[in-house]
Amino acid sequence: MSKDSQMRAAINQKLIEMGERERLKELLRAKLVECGWKDQLKAHCKDVIREKGLEHVTVEDLVTEVTPKGRALVPDSVKKELLQRIRAFLA
Amino acid sequence: MKMEDMPLSGPDNTRLEALVHDIYSELVDDACLGLSFEVHRAVKQGYFFLDETDQESMKEFEIVDQPGVDIFGQVYNQWKNKECECPNCKRLIAASRFAPHLEKCLGMGRNSSRIANRRLATNNTMSKSESDQEDNDDLNDNDWSYGNQTSPRRSKSLKHKNGTYFFRCRHYNYSSGINYETLGPDEVRSVLTTGCVMPRCPGRSQRCPQHTDEQRRAARVFLLGRPPPLPDVDAVMESDTFDIPDGQSLMSRLQWEDSPDVSPTDSASSKATCCAQNEAKTLRSRSSAQKMVFIENKLNVKHCAPPRKLYSSRTRYALFRNTAERRGEAREAARGGQFEDVMFGHF
Repeated sequence: MSKDSQMRAAINQKLIEMGERERLKELLRAKLVECGWKDQLKAHCKDVIREKGLEHVTVEDLVTEVTPKGRALVPDSVKKELLQRIRAFLA
Repeated sequence: MKMEDMPLSGPDNTRLEALVHDIYSELVDDACLGLSFEVHRAVKQGYFFLDETDQESMKEFEIVDQPGVDIFGQVYNQWKNKECECPNCKRLIAASRFAPHLEKCLGMGRNSSRIANRRLATNNTMSKSESDQEDNDDLNDNDWSYGNQTSPRRSKSLKHKNGTYFFRCRHYNYSSGINYETLGPDEVRSVLTTGCVMPRCPGRSQRCPQHTDEQRRAARVFLLGRPPPLPDVDAVMESDTFDIPDGQSLMSRLQWEDSPDVSPTDSASSKATCCAQNEAKTLRSRSSAQKMVFIENKLNVKHCAPPRKLYSSRTRYALFRNTAERRGEAREAARGGQFEDVMFGHF
């Protein structure tokens, strides 16, 4: 629905303008490093690279490997906190 | 910082939740992308596998995750109960206290010299109960006080006063006794009525055991310019009977520089009148410490140490001689055995 998309666009714009999006991004990054998500994913990457061969790894390969696993590996606490912050911002 | 209020109706709510989740997903995707770019760059630059060495070393330095042991596999408080023998003093010291003990023992720490000097000083004062105690007495004697009279100038350093240690402050200092010079007339009145008159005597009562009545009378004469009536000298409360003569004459006696009879630059004065003038002249340039010593000499009183310390035989004898001369032999006999009292410090 265009109203919906309009609303989304407006909200996104607000997020960026107020710097909240950057803050949220940094917060998420910090939390993921803290909980070991990054190291887990890096280890997974090593396996992939060894599999594919060091010379032939491309960005697309890595992205397709990392993203679904990454999404799944995010701990619940981090997810909940981030959702809460976003909701608080929108409310 | 807040958006416009969203009405919380049903469909809107779900849409809102969906929106929130979408934003969250975008953020997570950003994080994943960031990581993949980082890894890809590391691979292409060749530093991705740098932290991996051969298998043996990897096994050796693997992270340990057992209870009671740190990540290197070492026991945490293994050395707590061990004791080491100090090579200097040959004592058995606990391991955790060994380094500080060694510091003090070998005299190489930051504070070890200070502590050693302090210890030597206290040992010296205890062992030598003879003369020359004034310095140490003033330094160590913090026992008594007149009350709550403190002054911001109290902690003025000794070094300003010609290096002598008699005065630690210019106002009331309880460990060095009364400094008449800096007191105003009201304060002098209170001093003369509440404690021992003698300069720098720490005694609290009007009849402190270290000074005789004759000495006190002489001090009052000197300071106030007139002798108080005789029968009242030994009375307990003299505050009722005498009042301070107008502050000016009193202070003029105390403050050498302000004496109106002395012309400071008159160096050609005759011998007859020059004694006082010379005194004033010389004293003007001296420190208050030296002035107090001068007062004491005028009164023929030695500096008195606090009661708990013993006097040297020389001091005691001098005290005894002074009192004996003033009083005459009759009273000395009447007191009987006072010499012994002086000798052994009983009053």
